[in-house]
Amino acid sequence: MTTTDIHALVGAYALDAVDDLERAAFDRHVRECESCRTELDELRETAGRLADSTWSVPPPRLRSAVLGAIAQTRQVAPVSPAPMRSAQPAPRRWLVAAAAAVVLAGGASTAVYQVQEQRVGDSIATAARASAQTERTRDILAAPDLVVRTAPVTGGGKVTVAQSPSKDAGVILLGASAPPADGKVFQLWTIRGTTPTSAGVLPAGEASAVQIVNGLPGADMVGVTVEPAGGSATPTMPLVSQLPLV
Amino acid sequence: MTERARDHLSAVPGPPPTDPAQLLREVAQGDEQAFGRLYDLVAPRVYGLIRRVLRDPAQTEEVTQEVLVEVWRNAARFDGARGSATSWIFTIAHRRAVDRVRSEQSAADRVMKVGVAQVEIPHDEVVDEVTGRLERQQVRRCLDDLTDLQRQAVTLAYYQGHSYREVAELLSTSLPTVKTRMRDGLIRLRDCLGVEVTA
Ligand SMILES: [Zn+2]
Repeated sequence: MTTTDIHALVGAYALDAVDDLERAAFDRHVRECESCRTELDELRETAGRLADSTWSVPPPRLRSAVLGAIAQTRQVAPVSPAPMRSAQPAPRRWLVAAAAAVVLAGGASTAVYQVQEQRVGDSIATAARASAQTERTRDILAAPDLVVRTAPVTGGGKVTVAQSPSKDAGVILLGASAPPADGKVFQLWTIRGTTPTSAGVLPAGEASAVQIVNGLPGADMVGVTVEPAGGSATPTMPLVSQLPLV
Repeated sequence: MTERARDHLSAVPGPPPTDPAQLLREVAQGDEQAFGRLYDLVAPRVYGLIRRVLRDPAQTEEVTQEVLVEVWRNAARFDGARGSATSWIFTIAHRRAVDRVRSEQSAADRVMKVGVAQVEIPHDEVVDEVTGRLERQQVRRCLDDLTDLQRQAVTLAYYQGHSYREVAELLSTSLPTVKTRMRDGLIRLRDCLGVEVTA
């Protein structure tokens, strides 16, 4: 690879979009090329900002697993007392652009697979629905009369319900610590009087979900159950979480 | 708003209480408590980033753990003159996620999975949004400022772990063009976000 080529690789390298050989070659190159090193530092810092929009709550058990693991892990020796650097930039606050990349990547797949068959069309439709849902979610959450309630989930985690009478809709957010065992799944319910209505079934292995429910303010309760894969017509007791809305 | 909702909202934490770079320096000295605080500051983004790339919850957990243990082990190698502590951590996380996704999922799989991705808005972000204390969606806005090709090249690589060769194929573009778009796309993002590394 010529030198010109390798300078041009800085963007791809900062995005981890190079193969192992190119990575090694560029690693060698930046040791000698100061302009690439400076540019790489900046572009890597920039790429890191793309992670601002990926905020997601890890399962609580991960914290204890990691803290347990580090207690048994030797560290590399400090090189020398690191010189203190002047003020860091103000801490960035978490952004809520959670679905931005899904939407953008949905656009990309439109470009890529437009000649391909039905199943791809379906997935694009799903992505489009996902982005419409996100807009709707934001719309509901922005309502001035929003009421937010939370309840614990048996086994860890919580369910949050945010509803707005003026929008006649609500959003159920499930954040359980772990998905149900044995291939079972979580199912969400709204309960009006004594009549339960399914508000959605999670895929196997999933412990979190965001679900918009139209007409939610008319319901008396939101419940969560553990069901066989694919969900059930009526809730299997006991409820692992229940959240009265009135 | 009900009493209950207000109670809930008042529990929302403000900006992170501590500077990650300072914590990382304490971690480099073997301070496990500092590591716990650093975990609380960065784990949601590390986990979220890895999950965005890998999609698979079980693998995400495994790789997140590997990454955070690597942060602990190599904390002394962090060089504040070359960037922020969070960027250093995300660089490790992204590389590990990409290595894993390339070894286990074909490029086509990755394209398909994005289509069926669920919309995830973490609880605490929702609460943040409700309280209206959220920063403007700067990254999103800056991504919107890129040309389509720049944006696609950057996001296909960063969020799905595609190599620039795969991106070129996916976008039916030449290799030099993709390399250039990744570079000038990031430069434009850098300027829009006001990213600076002051050595
Ligand atoms: Zn160079």
